[in-house]
Formats: sequence, C-alpha cells, structure tokens
Amino acid sequence: MSETPVAPNRHLYWAVAAAACLAVAGGGAFWYAASKTAATTRGQAADRTVTITATACQPNQITVPGGRRSFEIVNASDRPIEWEILDGVLVLAERENIAPGFRATLSVQLAPGTYQMACGLLSNPRGTLVVTPSDEAAAAASEVTLRKFLGPLSEYRVYLAMQGNAALSAAQTLQAAIAAGDVTAAQAAWQAARLPYRRIEALAYRFSDLENRIDPRAAYLTGREQDPAFTGYHRIEYGLFAQGTTEGLAPVAAQLVTDLEALKTRLRQAPLDPQLLIALPGDMATQLAQSHVPTGDDAYAKTDLAEFEASLEGLDKLTGLLRGVVASVNPDLEAQIGAAMERSRADLTALKQGGAYPPYDTISAEQRQALSGDLTALAAALSKLQDVIGLN
Amino acid sequence: MVANTLKSTALALILMAGLTAQSFAADPSLDLVAPLADYKIYVAENTEQLVKDTEAFVAAIKANDVAKAKALFAPTRTSYEKIEPIAELFADLDSSIDARADDFEQKEADPTFTGFHRIEYGLWVEGKTGEIQGYADQLLKDIKTLNERINGLTFPPEVVVGGAAALMEEVAATKISGEEDRYSRTDLWDFDANFAGSQKIYTLFRPLIADKNPDFVKKVDANFAEAGAILKKYQKDGGYVSYVELSDADRKVLATKVNTLAEDLSTLRGQLGLN
Repeated sequence: MSETPVAPNRHLYWAVAAAACLAVAGGGAFWYAASKTAATTRGQAADRTVTITATACQPNQITVPGGRRSFEIVNASDRPIEWEILDGVLVLAERENIAPGFRATLSVQLAPGTYQMACGLLSNPRGTLVVTPSDEAAAAASEVTLRKFLGPLSEYRVYLAMQGNAALSAAQTLQAAIAAGDVTAAQAAWQAARLPYRRIEALAYRFSDLENRIDPRAAYLTGREQDPAFTGYHRIEYGLFAQGTTEGLAPVAAQLVTDLEALKTRLRQAPLDPQLLIALPGDMATQLAQSHVPTGDDAYAKTDLAEFEASLEGLDKLTGLLRGVVASVNPDLEAQIGAAMERSRADLTALKQGGAYPPYDTISAEQRQALSGDLTALAAALSKLQDVIGLN
Repeated sequence: MVANTLKSTALALILMAGLTAQSFAADPSLDLVAPLADYKIYVAENTEQLVKDTEAFVAAIKANDVAKAKALFAPTRTSYEKIEPIAELFADLDSSIDARADDFEQKEADPTFTGFHRIEYGLWVEGKTGEIQGYADQLLKDIKTLNERINGLTFPPEVVVGGAAALMEEVAATKISGEEDRYSRTDLWDFDANFAGSQKIYTLFRPLIADKNPDFVKKVDANFAEAGAILKKYQKDGGYVSYVELSDADRKVLATKVNTLAEDLSTLRGQLGLN
C-alpha cells in the first residue's frame, strides 16, 4: 500500500493554524512552528506521508525499501504530537512537537528490518514500519566512513578516562593502606589496583617512559629485585607478598600515584583514530598470548588469572566497539571475533576453583598453552579488521 | 492572512539560514571525538547525580513527608532535563519517567501515567503520598535502569550535536506555555536545566566552529547570555520562583530567544558534517 492518505481539509488546516498562532505565547514560537511547515513545503515530496489522528497512524503499517527515506508527518489530531521510529526500545529517529494541523518531514537512513512507529499519544497503538533490503541499503551498510568510527572512538576515550581515574583512585587506596602499615589491607588494595590498569594496558603500555616506572618486572632488570629501576606495581607486590611488609614502600606508592596521574592526563589527551582503534586489541591479544600468559607478571602475588580477566574486559570493550563498525560491512568477521572473544573468556573462567582463581603457579604449561591459543586465535581474527574496515 | 504573511517571512528566513549553513558544511572530523567523549562524561555525571537525588526524593515519599518531597521534586528533575536528548532515546523509560498527562487519552486517569509528573500530580493536586508510593518505587527503578543503559550506550554523534537544538525546540514548543510542570509550577527549574544542557553541548563543540563562523558564535553566545539574564531575575534560594511569577514581557523575550537559539543551533549538525 503506497497510496498517500488524503491531506486534511485546507480550511480546517488554516483554521487550526490560526488558532495555534493565537494560542502560543510570543510571536517567536509561532514563527518557529511555521518555519517547520515552510521547510516541508519547499522540500521535495516525501517518500511516504503518515497522518496521525487522535487515535492512530494512518496508514498504521508502512513498507519502504532500505536507504535514506523521508516521511511527511501530518498532525490531524488536536494536540501537539511526536512521531518516532523505534528500534526495540531505542528511538531511531523522531520528529517532535508538531502542532495540530501542521506537517513536518523526517529524513532517516534505514537499514532493513522491522521497526515500530509511535503515533501521537502514548496510549495509541503503535504502527509498524517494515524496511525491505535494497541496493541502496546494502551500499550504505558496506561503506566504511570516518563517521562510523566517531561514536566508537569517543566511547573508548570515555573508557580510558574512567579506567584511568579508577587506576589512580585505587592506587591512592593502596598508598593509604601502606601508610597505615596494614599488610593485609595493602595486599587486597594492590590486587584491586591492578585491574583498572590491566583494562587499559593496550594503550597505557605505549607510553614507555611511564610504563617503565609503573610496570617493570624484576626479571627484566639487571639487578632484579635489588635494581634501583625496580619500581611501581611489582616493587610494591614484592614488598607486600614476598617480604610481607609495607616497609620502604611509601615512596614507591607515592611515585606510582604520581605516575598514574600523569598517565591519566596522557590517556585523556591521546589522539585516537580509527587506525589505532583497530590495532590496539590485536596487539594486546598477541602480547597476552606470547608474553603475559606463558610467563605471568605477578611473580610474588600469583594473581595473574584475575588480571587476565581484567585484560579480557579491556579487550572486550575494544572489540565490542569495532564489532559495531564491522557488523554491517562483514557480518562473518564480526561473528568470528565475537566467538574468539567468547572462547577466551570461557576458557579463562573455567580455571576458577570454588568461584575464585587459583594462584598462577598452579596452572600447568598445557593450560597456559590453551589460553595462549585462544588469544592467538582472537588476534588472528582481529588482524583481518584492517582489510575490512581500515580507512587507508 | 496573518498566518500566510508570517509563513512567507519565515520561509525567507529559513532559506537564508539554509544558505548560511550550507556554506559552512563540512565532513565530520576526528576533532569531534574529544567533545563527544566529554559530553558522555557530562551525561554520566548527571545520571549519577540523578540516581542519588531520586533516592532522596523517593525516600521522602516513602516517609509520607509531602513537604520534603515537594521541595525535592524540582531539583531532582534538573539532572534529567539537562541530559534529555540522550535520556529520551530510550522510549520506554522516557514514557515511564517523564510522560505528561497529555500523552494519554485518559490524561491523569490513565493507569500507565507514571513517573515524575504522576508523582507531581499526587503531591500538588492530590496532596498525599499514599497513591504514589508505587510510582515512586517504579521511578527509582527506572532511573537506575536509565543510568545503566546510558553508561553502556555508544552515543550517536548526530544525536549529541543535534541535542543542543532539540532541547531548545522542546522548550519552545511545549514548555514555554507552562505545560511541563503544571501542578507544581516549577517550570523555570526545567528551563534552566534545558538551557544548561543545550549550552553544554554548544560550548563543547564551539571551538570547532568559532574560527569558521565567528558571527554565528557571537550571536548564539549573546542569545544564551540574554536568556540566562532573564532567568536569573527569577532565581530564589538556589532555585526558582513559581512559573506564574514570570512576567508576560519576559515570557515573550524568552520565547523569542529560545526560538532563535533552536533555529541557530539546528545548523550545528550541518556545520560539523553530521547531517
């Protein structure tokens, strides 16, 4: 049914318009309402006209081909109304505040699927909008543009800011427990402090000056634990878990807090672009597979598994954002990344004993290899992203 | 006749506005990422505040403290009104949290009329808290769900940028008339929050357009400042006086400012390449 419904009676239209003119406060409000009508009048004919009566949309079921579609909405009721296209509970597009007797247009990019239409009063029944597949919709879906990355890049920036804040405040809690000389509290605080850092490690480790102070491991230093360059998280870990004391840790904790403050600022200012967003999770998965998982990081606390869970959360954030971009371009790859991510998570969770992760030194070489294998597969799936959604 | 004349004037203005916007049309740039992220942080801070404030508001209702609940109604709403462009993306929650009686055929009698305005009706018109206990529980639950959903949402850039105008359109079309808080007459609190939310978006993206379009930002800055100055006259004890105290003259000026802002801010999307 593509027939255009009958437009409201002209006399009625102007009568209502004049009434609306008198009713609204101030000339500006009318000018505004009128401008919407004017904008419609001068525009091209809409693909579909939807008339909203006091009780429903007419027609109440519309079928259009996918792509950029325009709708002319006519308010034939006696109250100001809005017309919305709903994708589940989410408003996909809307035209609000259409005065009685007025019409407005809405142009929206529609992907194939079934949507609902909100038709005026909330108590009115909803209409159905069916969008059928089309070449235009397929072309729009497969096109990769910078615009499609803006949301994901912004969202990752928010994530970096939030986790950067969390890393800092958790380090301050740790610092306080150390200052109080409370080893048990400090051990718990240390474990908690590691998690936000691991979630954003994919980008954080790239600031090598800070990284060398925040996260060096004794195994990589000439003088091992006695090396003056042994600072940051693992120096504190060594004191708390190997030596069982908070002695001498106060200045280390203070430096860690200072460095995390600097990291927070840099994460906030880091220029993010699609290239980087695409590269980050694959690089991190590879690093986990080749370095962190085989050897472990927490030589004294042996709390690696809980940290891997945080690492996977960070990866899940990144891959989730990228999956949103790739889904319409290459659904198979999207599914492949999702499955690889799920596999890594499931295999890690399966290592829990009685609801908690056991010490990492109880995890056999085979078990580590299995985890590494999952992450390698994830990295392999992620490496295909560049060809599919890379902008260069 | 009058309508026709006004209509052609409006048409001319629109055509001019259209041309201006077009000459500044751009492709979206990576410069949008930082202000988009900052906006989400702003929204997240507001929903966090909204959860806290709603807890206190609901507690007052549960304690049958009508006076306290009335005092908390307007300040609690402000965090919602500031972030309405995002909050109203969730149609189900926007209905259950912020629908007005007008949205239902049976008006106040509709059993699905819930949320802030149903509670407002209970407090000011019915003058009791017995009927609205259930609505209060539901409101808190909805607000918490909203907070979670917003935290998990990747904000659509065009909705964020379009939100500056959307807030002003909303005020122009259905708030300046005093429909929003008709029982409590706390409309000016909402206006203030809508302005703040709109201005926040504008301010975040302003640096991206100020050099290219100095006249535009000068005009918008001035209109925000003038609207703010009018609202300020009605401030009292950290809040606002009743909407009935707003003079006709000020209402008219406010309406004009709001309409101009709505119209000008509606070009932001085009200026930033997000049409």
